[in-house]
Parts: sequence; structure tokens; C-alpha cells
Amino acid sequence: MGNMKTEIRFWFDERLGISSIAGFLRKKMVPQHRHSLWYYTGSAILLFFAIQVVTGFMLAFYYKPTLEGANQSVARIMTEVPLGWIIRSIHSWSASFMIAFVFIHLLSIWIAKSYRRPREFTWMSGVFLLVFTLASGFTGYLLPWDELSLSATKVGTDIPRSVPYVGVWVTKFLRGGEDVTGDTLTRFFSFHVSILPLLIFAFIAVHVYLIQKLGMSLPLSVESKKEKVKELPFWPNFIYREMVVWLLLFGILMTLAIFLPPSLEKTADLMAPAPEGLRPEWYFLFLFQTLKVFPPKVLFINGDTIVVLLILAAVILFFFLPVIDNKPAEKKGKVITFFAYVFIVFAVAMTVWSLL
Amino acid sequence: MIRGKKPAPAFLLLLVFFLAFFSGYDLAQQDTPEEQSQTAQAEKEKEKIVPSPKNIKESTDIYVFVGWIWLAVCVLVFFLRLKIKEVDRLYRLGYFSQKKK
Repeated sequence: MGNMKTEIRFWFDERLGISSIAGFLRKKMVPQHRHSLWYYTGSAILLFFAIQVVTGFMLAFYYKPTLEGANQSVARIMTEVPLGWIIRSIHSWSASFMIAFVFIHLLSIWIAKSYRRPREFTWMSGVFLLVFTLASGFTGYLLPWDELSLSATKVGTDIPRSVPYVGVWVTKFLRGGEDVTGDTLTRFFSFHVSILPLLIFAFIAVHVYLIQKLGMSLPLSVESKKEKVKELPFWPNFIYREMVVWLLLFGILMTLAIFLPPSLEKTADLMAPAPEGLRPEWYFLFLFQTLKVFPPKVLFINGDTIVVLLILAAVILFFFLPVIDNKPAEKKGKVITFFAYVFIVFAVAMTVWSLL
Repeated sequence: MIRGKKPAPAFLLLLVFFLAFFSGYDLAQQDTPEEQSQTAQAEKEKEKIVPSPKNIKESTDIYVFVGWIWLAVCVLVFFLRLKIKEVDRLYRLGYFSQKKK
């Protein structure tokens, strides 16, 4: 029996090279220090992405991306399909969890300054992943095709219009025409189920490859102490710890998905006025509130144009952060870290304000 | 002659007024914008699909399901903690580095 087991293992190993992968994972070490907790956020994102893919496939079996069928098919998923409402709720909640963890992951790296040389590309691929994840959330929000999602998409796709020269074209491209119509729905559906997941897969592959190549980074505060840091093998010691985190997160996700499922409003009417209390998803609230409170005109320039250009500039600066923060241990580096805290306070304050 | 024709519509009008009065319906007053908004909100709530258990059996099933999930999570976490202690001990003893050789 034992001999047969070894033979089967050898047969697979000869074809797939499993032992070399296992050997590599055993050699990979994870530093252990007081900020090690943040290492778990990366794998939590992967967990929620996997849940998104699985539940997304299940929802796609019943969803119809047409003007007549979209809302009805979601209503059918929620009322007729066995466990359909739980699957939809898990999909919706795991999207929120994924976006929250992407934000936490990036902010922790920003504060720990883990993007410094030679990990610039790891950071940049992470910023791309943030953009793709937010785009997935935005495109997915329209798919139930109810009043709220239609109005939020109208407002959201109208924002780029204020960018000079290219803005109108971007709005037209997003909508598939002048207005939000059935073409926008099919466009968003194809982005949501094929283009964006493929891009996320590709960038995750690049991101994970870079992490494997360069190893886990140490926070600047730990590295500057120049003491020997305790390490643990990735396989099996760290993986078992990650499994504990995944299980707890899975439990929380299931509990929230069961007790707080998302509702569905009536089919969107393209001619109807925007409903009261129009709000985007929670992760866009701080941007939404910033646009809302900014003065409509500043020195004859449209307020929306200024906000959108400021946001674009912030995203570009964020992308090139490792290049800008080239002296992380000095005063310049400390100022950049201070901006991370300012951003957190600003985003939380604006979100709370928009909810009041 | 004129006297004989007038009482019928007047009587009907009075009857409608009294019926409306006693049924609590206000003929003169229209809904205020707030009331209209409340009515619209109530209608909207009716059209909204909120997944929730339909009877006591379904709600019990949900609580049992969540209970099973957390029981499974706790049991698995318990075994994983034992496993973590074991692999940490083996690592300290240098078992994995010996295996590599």
C-alpha cells in the first residue's frame, strides 16, 4: 500500500513537479515582528477574490444582462432559486470585504514604507489592482438594474465629463452612448464578468511573482533597528496561521451575508427622475461627498473639474509613491507618511459626513 | 314645484358629507408633500424585495445553519492551533532543515 502511494506521488511529481514547488515554499521565510499582522491582509484579499469568482459564476447561471431581464432575473435569484439570496448576499458582502482589505493592505504598506527599493513594481501592480477592484465594484452595482443603481451609475459616469478634452469621450465610452441605456448594462456586464476579472488575475500573478522573487518586506521601523528578525517558514507554519484568519473571516462573512442581505428595488425607469437619498457604495462615499461640498465655481473654473483633476493627480502621485518617496528614512519620508494619516482621517470624516 | 325638486340633491350632498366625515376622510384637505413622500416611500417598500425568512421554520433553519458554521469554524481553528504548535516545535528542533538535506 505504502509502495503504491509512493508510486502515485512519483507519477504526479514527474509530470507536475510538485516537490520542487513544495521545496520552494519550505525555503520561503516570513519575518515575525510586531507588525506581522498586516501580512495576513494580502491573503485575505485572495480569499475574498476566490469567493467572488465562485459566487459570480453561480449568479451568472441565472442573470440576464438585458433591459427587460436584468431586474427580473435578480428578483428570481432572490425569490425562486434555492439559496439564491444567500449566494447574492455572499457575492455582495465579499466584494465589500475585498475592497476594504485592498485599502487596508495598501495603507499598511504606505505607512510601513514597504514599497521602497527594490519593490517599486510590487507597489505599482498593487495600485492597478486597487483600480480594477473599484471598477469591478462600480460595474457590478448597475447589474441589478434598479432605480438606485441606475441613478448612481448616471452620476458616476457623468463625473469624467468635467475633465477637459477627453472627459466627454470617457463618459461616452463608459455609457456606450450619450445616456445610460441597455448598452451600458451589457457593457458593464462584460467588464464585470470578463475583462476586469482577467485583468485582476493577470495583475495578481505579477504581484505574487514579485513578492516571491523579492521576499516579504520588513517595515522601515523594524529594518532600521538592525536587529536579527525572527522568521517562520511559509510552509507549513505561516500557511496554518493564515488558515485560521481565513476561517474567522469566512465565519464573519457568512454571518453578515445571512443576517444583512442586500435588497432589490423595482426595475429602473430610464425616464424617471433620480430618487431621493441617492448614494454610491460605501467605498465611493468620500469622493462623492468631496464633490458635493466643493464650491460650484472657483475663479471661473467649474468646481467639479477641479475636484476630478485633483483626484486624478492624487491617483498619479499615489502610483508613483515609491519614486517620490526616495528618502524614506528622512524628513521627506516622514511628511509622506503623515499624508497617509491625513488621507485616512479625510476619507473617514467625509464618509461619516455623507451618511449623516 | 321648485321646492319639491331641490331636496333630493341637497340630501345626497349632506349624506356624502356625513359619510365622509364619519369615515374620517377629509374632502377639502389634500396630502401634504411630507405625507405624499411617506406614501411613495411605503409603496416603494412594498415593491422592494428584502430576503427574509417567511416563517418560524425558515428563521430557525437560518439560526441553526449559522450555528453550524461557527461550530465548524471553532473546531477547525482548535485543530489548526494544535497543528501550529506542532509545526513550530518541529521548526525549533530543526526538523525541516534536516529534511531538506
